[in-house]
Amino acid sequence: MTLRLETKKLKRTRYFPAFLAGGLLAAAFPLINMLVRSESFTALPGEPFTILMDANWQMMAMLNILVCICGACMMYHTEYADNGAQKMDVLPVRAGKLFLTKFVVNALALALMIILETAALTWCAVHWFSGYEFDALELLQGAGFQWFVTLPTVMLMLVIASACKNMWVSLGIGVVLVFTMCIFPQDNLILSLCPFSSPYQTLAMAAESSRVPLFLGVCAAEVVVLGLLGLVYQKIRRCAE
Amino acid sequence: MNIIETQNLTKTYGDFTAVSHLNLHIRKGRVYGFLGPNGAGKSTTMKMFLGLTHPTKGSFQIDGKTYPADRVPILKEIGSFIEAPAFYGNLTGEENLEIIRKILGLPKSSVSDALELVGLTQFRKRLAKKYSLGMKQRLGLAGALIGRPPILILDEPTNGLDPVGIHEIRTLIKSLPQQYDCTVLVSSHLLPEVELMADDIGILNHGRLLFEGTMEELKTNARCAGLPTDNLEDTFLAMIDEDNRKGGAGK
Amino acid sequence: MNFFSLIGVEFKKIRRSKILLILLIPVIIMWIPSIINADMNFDTRGIPITPENNFFIQGFMGMVWFMIPASLVVCTVLLIQTERANKGILKMLSLPVNTAKLCLAKFAVLILLAFAQMVMTIAAYYICAAIVSQMQNYNFFLDPLYVCRVTLSIYAGAIPMAAVFWMIANLITTPVFSVGIGLASIVPSVLIINTKIWFAYPMSYPFYLLMVEYGRCAEGIYETQIAWLPWLPAAALITVVALGIACVRFGAAERR
Repeated sequence: MTLRLETKKLKRTRYFPAFLAGGLLAAAFPLINMLVRSESFTALPGEPFTILMDANWQMMAMLNILVCICGACMMYHTEYADNGAQKMDVLPVRAGKLFLTKFVVNALALALMIILETAALTWCAVHWFSGYEFDALELLQGAGFQWFVTLPTVMLMLVIASACKNMWVSLGIGVVLVFTMCIFPQDNLILSLCPFSSPYQTLAMAAESSRVPLFLGVCAAEVVVLGLLGLVYQKIRRCAE
Repeated sequence: MNIIETQNLTKTYGDFTAVSHLNLHIRKGRVYGFLGPNGAGKSTTMKMFLGLTHPTKGSFQIDGKTYPADRVPILKEIGSFIEAPAFYGNLTGEENLEIIRKILGLPKSSVSDALELVGLTQFRKRLAKKYSLGMKQRLGLAGALIGRPPILILDEPTNGLDPVGIHEIRTLIKSLPQQYDCTVLVSSHLLPEVELMADDIGILNHGRLLFEGTMEELKTNARCAGLPTDNLEDTFLAMIDEDNRKGGAGK
Repeated sequence: MNFFSLIGVEFKKIRRSKILLILLIPVIIMWIPSIINADMNFDTRGIPITPENNFFIQGFMGMVWFMIPASLVVCTVLLIQTERANKGILKMLSLPVNTAKLCLAKFAVLILLAFAQMVMTIAAYYICAAIVSQMQNYNFFLDPLYVCRVTLSIYAGAIPMAAVFWMIANLITTPVFSVGIGLASIVPSVLIINTKIWFAYPMSYPFYLLMVEYGRCAEGIYETQIAWLPWLPAAALITVVALGIACVRFGAAERR
């Protein structure tokens, strides 16, 4: 029920169109890239899908992160803008539950985006690479991995958005974090495991250094820890006000 | 002499008619009370006078000038207070007025003058977002009164004030025409309030003008129509009620 | 009312917004990796470039690609939001000022804020160059005239982009959306810079200018000449059209 309510709250905020538009825009990257200079990619050795991921994923992941930031900000903005949160506080619902539901909604919207993006990449692979073999399981694994490593970012952004009543503060923090994480060198393992940085990691990259379990484990841990942080904060916020 | 006149002024939003064929005559140097229930179209009419929304049909003259050609000259003569509170939250009350003063090109003293007039001098250094509802309302009024413009348009200026504040503002508005030789158009949904402030009144319901004239004329009028007259509130309610029954709800 | 005092009024409106602090943070963050990886400046990976030029270009790279646009987006939002938050714009529209003038005054504030950030960037560059020179025992300073010229050209290149962002902020009333679109439009500039139609995409101008500078310092990296011809008219056209639309749409939502 909470899930339906949370989705309802997002009505007319154009939250879902935002994710859809973000997904379509990200999906356009590989298409445009291939349209403009397909020969420079088809000539490369290796797995077609990996080549496409290497060429495009950095930008697509960045878009995913940006959309997640906007999504989280939007969610809590609707809560805070007209004191909706205050009303929620005096209703018999658990603030923590609302927080977790928001995470689920965000995660689902992100999944939608990644599915769109994977579809676009697959289409490019089928269309331009003659040697590409369609493998649904592999694609699902890839998309799942990409989705999972983005979750800590989603969670952290929700924690930030829930903590700042003024949307511009949370948005500003988000943008600065994106920027900071993308200018720090990617080859540093610890940094690449951090939220805002892990989404850039592709399954192929992780598999090459056999770090897939490491990434999945660390990201899961981050989600849990950040989630707990968010829950605790929701409790404190209620008492502090 | 009429300082504000409208001819068949109409405003529609989609299929909703907010103001319908309005013919107002506001005389110079008077306090004109604009009366009507919530959503009658008072604010919309005032917004049209200020160029905040375009009329769908009809026209109006303010001091012989027309909108949209004379937008800036019209606005130079009007001090307004619409859909309060409108201000910059990150600035103090004084700084908010300072901005208005600069744009209007008024002397420096006008800020303290306006603050004094609405009784905010004490709180002038406080951030506007920290103001109470009543203080925000007073700040809005100060923004309208600053520079003592010849025409004042005030949309429900006593909303959110406490009884003492209401009385204060009411007295202030009533005294304005004598003090500064200005014309005041003030709206309200409370008849007793208008009765205490206004010389002339116009009653609006569902965007249409039900009555326009002096308080005395209203009473005579009501008597002829067989409406209760011993209490003006009842007169007003009966008028609105009858209009609604006649299909004034109209939609 | 004269335009310059109107700009003064606009600056007054953004008091206590801490915008300069917000603009300073990215400037500082951007130079931290340059200091940490100071020794990397000597490892030019076969690119024929001097370490001091390498330091300068690499440091500015993140700035032109992401931070200038992002800062501009944040500033536009701040300017629009100060007006809308407590309906200050309603008061402004009912005062005797020309709305187009008001809109342009706000745009002037926007580009002046960007200018302030550029000054901070130059200052940060020299501070970092001093630190790195100390650490590496090598002179990383570049001629101040050169640094100022490059920074100024990048700044000038950012103005059409500022106009576009300002237009977006005026067209799209849902603030998160105007921000989202603004931020999303930054991402593809890396791609577009390598295509033939880069001049039609204002978000890539500062990046382009820096790349040309890179090309001049390191042979073979990029072009060494600015392609003025399709660019200048295109940039001027985009700026004028964007500002025109912004002026027409300014306050339109409040004046239904």
